[in-house]
Amino acid sequence: MDANMPILASTSPTAVPWLSVIVLLPITGALLLPFLPEGESEKQSQLPRNLAISILLIDLLIMLFVFGRVFNPSEGGLQLVERANWLPFLGLEWSVGADGISAPLVLLSGLITFLSAAASWKVTQKSRLYFALLLVQASAQALVFLSQDFLLFFLAWELELVPVYLLIAIWGGKRRLYAATKFILYTALASLLILISGLALALSGDNFTLNISELANKNYEGSFGILCYLGFLIGFGVKLPIFPLHTWLPDAHGEANAPVSMLLAGVLLKMGGYALLRFNVQLLPEAHQILAPALIVIGIVNVIYGALNAFAQDNVKRRIACSSVSHMGFVLLGIGAIDALGISGAMLQMISHGLIAAAMFFITGSFYERTNTLSIPNMGGLAKILPITFAFFLTSSLASLALPGMSGFISEITVFLGITSQNDFTSIFRAITIVLAAIGLVLTPVYLLSMCRRVFFGPRIPAVSLTEDMNPRELVIGLSLLVPTLAIGFWPRIAIDLYESSTNLLADKLITNSLVVLNQGLTFG
Amino acid sequence: MPTLAGVFVKRMPSAAEIAWLIPVLPLIGAVITGLGLITFNKTINRLRKPVAVLLVTCLGSAAVISYAVLFEQINGSPPLEHLFVWASAGNFILPMGYVIDPLAALMLALVTTIALLVMIYSHGYMAHDKGYVRFFTYLALFSSSMLGLIVSPNLLEVYVFWELVGMCSYLLVGFWYDREGAAHAAQKAFVVNRVGDFGLLLGILGLFWATGSFDFQNIALGLSEAISSGDVPTWAALTLCLLVFMGPMAKSAQFPLHVWLPDAMEGPTPISALIHAATMVAAGVFLVARLEPIYTQFPSVGLVIAVVGTITCFLGASIALNQMDLKKGLAYSTVSQLGYMMLAMGCGAPVAGIFHLVTHAFFKAMLFLGSGSVIHAMEEVVGHEPVLAQDMRLMGGLKKKMPITANTFLIGCIAISGIPPLAGFWSKDEILGQAFNTFPLLWFIGFLTAGMTAFYMFRLYFLTFEGTFRGENKELQKQLLSSAGKVDDDQEHHNPGELHESPWPMTMPLVTLAIPSIVVGLLGTPWDSKFAALLNPQEAIEMSQSFQWGEFLPLALASVAISSSGIALAVMAYFLNRIKLSEVFANRYPAIDEFLKRKWYLDEINEKIFVQGSRKLAKEVLEVDAKVVDGVVNLTGLLTLGSGEGLKYFETGRAQFYALIVFAGVIGLVALFGVLGTPPI
Repeated sequence: MDANMPILASTSPTAVPWLSVIVLLPITGALLLPFLPEGESEKQSQLPRNLAISILLIDLLIMLFVFGRVFNPSEGGLQLVERANWLPFLGLEWSVGADGISAPLVLLSGLITFLSAAASWKVTQKSRLYFALLLVQASAQALVFLSQDFLLFFLAWELELVPVYLLIAIWGGKRRLYAATKFILYTALASLLILISGLALALSGDNFTLNISELANKNYEGSFGILCYLGFLIGFGVKLPIFPLHTWLPDAHGEANAPVSMLLAGVLLKMGGYALLRFNVQLLPEAHQILAPALIVIGIVNVIYGALNAFAQDNVKRRIACSSVSHMGFVLLGIGAIDALGISGAMLQMISHGLIAAAMFFITGSFYERTNTLSIPNMGGLAKILPITFAFFLTSSLASLALPGMSGFISEITVFLGITSQNDFTSIFRAITIVLAAIGLVLTPVYLLSMCRRVFFGPRIPAVSLTEDMNPRELVIGLSLLVPTLAIGFWPRIAIDLYESSTNLLADKLITNSLVVLNQGLTFG
Repeated sequence: MPTLAGVFVKRMPSAAEIAWLIPVLPLIGAVITGLGLITFNKTINRLRKPVAVLLVTCLGSAAVISYAVLFEQINGSPPLEHLFVWASAGNFILPMGYVIDPLAALMLALVTTIALLVMIYSHGYMAHDKGYVRFFTYLALFSSSMLGLIVSPNLLEVYVFWELVGMCSYLLVGFWYDREGAAHAAQKAFVVNRVGDFGLLLGILGLFWATGSFDFQNIALGLSEAISSGDVPTWAALTLCLLVFMGPMAKSAQFPLHVWLPDAMEGPTPISALIHAATMVAAGVFLVARLEPIYTQFPSVGLVIAVVGTITCFLGASIALNQMDLKKGLAYSTVSQLGYMMLAMGCGAPVAGIFHLVTHAFFKAMLFLGSGSVIHAMEEVVGHEPVLAQDMRLMGGLKKKMPITANTFLIGCIAISGIPPLAGFWSKDEILGQAFNTFPLLWFIGFLTAGMTAFYMFRLYFLTFEGTFRGENKELQKQLLSSAGKVDDDQEHHNPGELHESPWPMTMPLVTLAIPSIVVGLLGTPWDSKFAALLNPQEAIEMSQSFQWGEFLPLALASVAISSSGIALAVMAYFLNRIKLSEVFANRYPAIDEFLKRKWYLDEINEKIFVQGSRKLAKEVLEVDAKVVDGVVNLTGLLTLGSGEGLKYFETGRAQFYALIVFAGVIGLVALFGVLGTPPI
């Protein structure tokens, strides 16, 4: 890197630094919130909420404009790149850019953060802080997906922990402190591995660089590459989460309120998958090819172990949390398939699961406000009183169990096809993988539909006072999550077109790299 | 202007070209009413008539196009296939589209006809139900999925619609969601079907691995090439074929995956007629017919299919022998008849199988709708509890009050029993003829089952419609309720009404379905089969050429003879009451009687091994997760406690505390740089 590098405002053809705007708008709003008057009257406590929702909506609209009009999805490489020196003594650079892998996830996080703020309608306790944290969270998430500098990425990754920790620890349930601390310790320790691996890559070779594209051009020797790969895998795996690093998730979901659960399931878990693609696959293709079978094994464990855990959970949110573990297993399987189909499936699974899990948590929150319990054995017959809630919950359950016509089906089938058509694996390895992963498809309806049955079906009416069914605001939030799910399920190209050139590029890179012959011995050969 | 007219005629698309509208039209209707239900629930629920008119119009138009398509195919139009790219990645593309060939055209006409009649019937049957609009929406959604399944040009698209019809079945079985039984039945239907779909999906993926295609013809070609070139071992190909067959086994209720179908009778009766008798459960048979080019390469697969079909056929009939629930009796009869169809498929006679599918669809739909009409009337007397309204011990003598229902039901019984010239005779006899030539032992079991069929169907008829009405016997009602483990609550606020014939929307479909139940078999006579001529012209020629009265008559006479003896036995036992058959049988063979009453103990086995087994496994896994996996974290949990305690001191300023941590982190970062050497900026 040149010490005299000019401070660039933007290298993109457009004059407006769009991506910086997307990242900085919410956090600027967050800085405004503390100056609002203390919420004593009801009206005043609504002001921060309304402001936050408006800012997030504007941010979402900007994202839609940028990724719909300015961004060119037929180009696989980085676009809209903006680079500026920030802290030269640290080598820290403000460097953001988007490709097909970041674009859909930024959109997803924008949508879900906005909806999560809208779902926080009834939060009145310390509302200024709450919504300020949501806004900081929005910025940090977008920066994770957009930053093209490792150090910047890492700062964003760490920054995003603060709001989540506080959101759980202050607005959570009874054991919120335990859950929040578990979350923070887990992810903070994992971050250490990410930092070490990243710096190791930056320092290796002749030139020091933190820029991700430049890091990708370096060559990392065998065992060094593998060590870094493992460091990243554990670090990112906590977020995904991968077995056995998943135990923070049911606790966090169990204690967080519904809007924060939407963020956790809808966006945070996707950071893990995104980072795996961005660092493990893009930077370390050789190590990835060697370790891909291990990824597949972990993926299968996730799918089945998560599903069985979910089946035994008696709390609605914990059950959905475990189902996330199971579904994110498919992301691992897709990434492990090391071909265009598999990576495409992993991408789609992230988008799809983001929408569906957020929908499920949102609806759960919506009926929790009415029942004040999440314990499955204590509920029953809710459908009679809350028919619309029932319709939404059932629809998202069906989406979650990969029903065709919904996004989950097309993503999971793409992952399956990706593994099937990966000729680098032996047939027997592929067969075992697919059979085991397909067992997950049988287990999903078992735990989801039995939950629907026990909560909504049947004659029992819970001994709780119930007011009314979903109101128009809740309807709009629910539909905003389910309509895209259905749209992608019917016409998957609306999502695939956004990322296809980039995932193809990534897969091509892997194929060129497979000159480093895949060790057949590792693949159960 | 003759030229303009000429242009116009030229541009007129053929029916096959607009056939994509057939599944799309009901879908549009369902989407409109479905969105309405979610957003303006109360308003839409009041608009019953407009909703019914809209959906009947959508389905009616689909039916019109379907018949146009069928006539084109009868007149010899070539098959038509239209594809588009649905999804892609790398150089892989996933095509979707629709195909119109004789088989598809036939099924389209059949499904739209029955769906339309069932919809009209439902207008009467569901008239008093709060969920009328929801029911119609589900019906339209199901019709759309089923029609989509029929026109699917490749296996993956079949899988898509396969799952969607399963979902509709789930929704409709669980339609009365406040009933515990319906909730369980719906879940069971979905999960058992998922087990079948598990095999189907693996098979599809495997065939894609072996041949690189999802298209039926290409798979057939590719598979035989791959086997002859040694790329794919024969055992692997066989395994894949059998895996794919798991899908049809679950959907078409073949042993041992049939367990969901009798339970699915918890759904409203029009659904039992449409989905669980005439159309969806036949989808498995249809898919096997589609897979014919692949399966013909493997005679052993055919044998497996034939054996499974025969076991199913016998099992269904045997359990139907002493069912007391009218709908369950019909359900086991459906299981048995589906077994016949599979037997035909296994014998390599898809034309015969599809022929029976068509005739069975007409008469079984009619029988179910008839049973619905009976239940509708019974509910006036005994209330809405299905344990009472469907039990034949409370029926009897209904013929006098509801003559149309009784007579159409009787026609159905004659048709299914295989008495010429009604529809069932021709199709069942063709299957038995094929089985006789291919697997004589299986023929014998099928032949016996024909007698059992005649017996249990006429038993149903006599118990329901003849004799004296037993519905007002309060003692018996209490006894039935307590043996079903239900509390007598509905009765107190129920004012018993009078038995009466059902209104016209319900009787009209019955009468309409009676016509094909009588005559449609004549289209498939073995000496001049119009059916075979449509589906497989070459086979039709061969059939008529090789037809010999000397071969046909003995088998046909034997079938008629055993059916007649079955009927005679039923007449003796349940009409003339000469012999107390069930008591005598239960006393002499208590083990068999119990075995049949417990439905071959399959539900118990299922419950013990799979339901409880999976629950136990899940519990154990959770235990491990909490104690072992999480235990590792709980070592850090000591830390957690520490920091948790520590946090309390920062209660007022948790944010600052965390800011400190981040700050410390950044300092650590800087220190790291210091240790590792200043970066070369």
